[in-house]
Amino acid sequence: MSTKGTKIPERLTITFAGITPAPSQEKGQDLFPTGNWRSIRPVYRDKLPPCNNACGTNEKIQGYLDLVKRGKYLDAYALIKEDMPFPSVTGRVCYHPCEQACNRGKYDEAISIRAVERFLGDLGQALAKDVVKPGKANGKKVAVVGSGPAGHSAAYQLARLGYNVTIFEKSPKAGGLNRGGIPDWVLPQDVLDREIERLVELGITIKTNVEVGRDVSWDDLKKNYDACVLAVGLIDANSVRAEGEDKEGVHYGLPFLRDIGMGTSKVKLGPRVAVIGGGNTAIDCAREALRQGAVEVTMITVEGGPHEMPAVPEDLHDMLEEGVELIHGRAVTAVHGNGRIEALQLHPAKFSGAINASPIAVDKEAQPHRFPVDNVIIAVGQRPSLKWLPDEFKNERGTIKIDRFGRLGDTNFFAAGDIVQLGSGQPLMVVNAVGDGKRVAFNLDKVLRGVPLEPRTIPVDVIFDLNRMNMTYFPHFPRVKQELLAPTSRRRTQEEVIQPFSEEQAVEEANRCFSCGTCNACDNCYLVCPEPCIVRDVRSNGLYKILVDYCKGCRVCIEECPTGCLEGVPELDFDAGVVRMDTAFAISPGLHGRQAEELKHLGERAAKNI
Amino acid sequence: MYTELTVWTRGIIMDKEGRDIVNSVSASARKEGKYAQAMENYVDNPDRTNCPTRKYCRVSDEILENELTYENENPNVVVLVEGTMVKGWDYMRGMPPGGTLVINTHYTPEYMIRFVPGPERLAQLVCVDAAKIADHKWLYYRLGELGLDRLSTEGAAERNKSIAPDIAAPLIAAVVKTTGIVKIETIQPMIANQHAFKLALEELHIMPLNPVAA
Repeated sequence: MSTKGTKIPERLTITFAGITPAPSQEKGQDLFPTGNWRSIRPVYRDKLPPCNNACGTNEKIQGYLDLVKRGKYLDAYALIKEDMPFPSVTGRVCYHPCEQACNRGKYDEAISIRAVERFLGDLGQALAKDVVKPGKANGKKVAVVGSGPAGHSAAYQLARLGYNVTIFEKSPKAGGLNRGGIPDWVLPQDVLDREIERLVELGITIKTNVEVGRDVSWDDLKKNYDACVLAVGLIDANSVRAEGEDKEGVHYGLPFLRDIGMGTSKVKLGPRVAVIGGGNTAIDCAREALRQGAVEVTMITVEGGPHEMPAVPEDLHDMLEEGVELIHGRAVTAVHGNGRIEALQLHPAKFSGAINASPIAVDKEAQPHRFPVDNVIIAVGQRPSLKWLPDEFKNERGTIKIDRFGRLGDTNFFAAGDIVQLGSGQPLMVVNAVGDGKRVAFNLDKVLRGVPLEPRTIPVDVIFDLNRMNMTYFPHFPRVKQELLAPTSRRRTQEEVIQPFSEEQAVEEANRCFSCGTCNACDNCYLVCPEPCIVRDVRSNGLYKILVDYCKGCRVCIEECPTGCLEGVPELDFDAGVVRMDTAFAISPGLHGRQAEELKHLGERAAKNI
Repeated sequence: MYTELTVWTRGIIMDKEGRDIVNSVSASARKEGKYAQAMENYVDNPDRTNCPTRKYCRVSDEILENELTYENENPNVVVLVEGTMVKGWDYMRGMPPGGTLVINTHYTPEYMIRFVPGPERLAQLVCVDAAKIADHKWLYYRLGELGLDRLSTEGAAERNKSIAPDIAAPLIAAVVKTTGIVKIETIQPMIANQHAFKLALEELHIMPLNPVAA
């Protein structure tokens, strides 16, 4: 490029024998800033990956998968602990809505996020000291009622915020539903024990065998604590309202599992067991029944088929592998037997409306079916037990009445978990309770600090469309499978069914992550920019910069960004920071006029002088 | 009466549009019996996609004395064929008071005025959404993706060789209507996209600023 006519700034001129040479390459960007060629500007704008959005507690899933990719396991564990107090538990029990939402599922197979979470959780369990520290003590006391997922999460977050937290648990061991509702072969007790220890290490006091309403009253809580989180869960089991349901040999799902979990079970099952219900607890009960000595386990559901059951499909698959039979479209109308259960009377039935959310229509006209059994486990949901709660805080569903911040009226009482989520449309799952506990803890903190509460913001830009990413960068790659115990051997043992990932497997699986819409420091933009106008010091997310004085807006980086985090924004949308450049393409004024003056006199000169 | 018209346009991808404006205005002026001249920018050799490039036109009642000066030093009318150019240069340089700035943009003059250097010299700021008026489907609807359209022909391979078949038509209408540099009825027969030309006469966003007393 000729520099003729160029207004070269004084600092860039190197006069040598009266000639200003062409600018060197390194000075070129200063001399020829081409930023004004651009009509769109590339901008790094991280979107929300669908996994983070789907997670009940909004774990930064993409973030920790990215750290695992790079072998930064401890950082990944610390990141997960921001939202999730017990990754080792959810890494085993979570119904992983993240994996359902995973964009990779539309491409080949979803990332095995839960398995990586478990890998990190187990890593955290092995640490002598946890990465999480209690916050600076603020001298305020908070009571948390219930040590299940929601209570655990709320207490954990409050301790991190510097509160003096006391947990009340009515059972002899802390853990709530994590201990009482989840069988050992899914979540071993020692894993949960270790997580409870972590809570104690944070300075939280756990008082077991203390029941609110019996040992502690509403007024005690109000008087002795600055605030209180009620995470009491759903305790009482629903019945099926069948004739003779009170006979010996009839058990209820959650108490059945809870007693086994607490080690206080006296249940002896006969060879033929029926499980009523089609949800996750029913599946756990059916599989637990096999391990408690039953030979034939049959699951009786109102739902018309396996696809209608409100259960995690993998668990259903594993249960069928273990040999549990399914009967669909039937409801129990009577329990026959003389003192002890002998058989069930089944009638055809179906939901009168939406599955699991409408009354059951039983066809009493049809011929009943007699189904001989030795035991029956009824697992058709739970309901709250809130006799101790003042009536003004109860709602028509029988649960706690809260505002959208989880607060009871204008008191300093908050409620979280199943006790408020029942009937809200939210699946009653561990991770949703954890998320609820977390949000309520933050709201409680704001109330005590006198900061105004803000409603949950709805994320506006979640990447669901694969076309927003550059899929050419992602070869198809199968999901790394978690190994399972053989169905025949696991029927009789309390050993964990699903086996953990090795380090190699975890890294391999994390490597499959698209990092949807989020910069993961792949360096691609840095490499593909045809001009060197993307700069960075360290290869790390968020540290890439674009030299806007030089970027021509060629869009190569935007098109080549694998994750879709770079986007083109019309330059005119930036109404500040106008850079008006005096460049090679806007020459010094009047130059041609001066030349033309000379040209006018050309004719007057002698030919040799031209 | 001596008027200078400078058109700022994008190299290669909008080269022909800029050329059409200066050529048609100067041709009309000569038809009206004036002295007129139109030329390309011979200085910067700006044959690069998206690079800023200029087209010049001069119209005078008297003989042009500076016909060998290939640069408008005091443009009375400036046209920006692509809206983003409003940010990039001092296109107002040398403009005497009472000038006109025409921008192809969907933004309003109230928004665009903030980017204009030295707006006190303007008698009017005119915004015309030429891409929309000309209903240009294959390129200008995708202004945000301009960088992808690397034709690299400098207009030589245009399918339509007529004058102002697309976004140049509304811009010419804007220039002629707001400045009166030539008469509308002289220039209109030259324009290929008659529909866009007529529509633009109705759909100009004119912001009156500092009129100069005649």
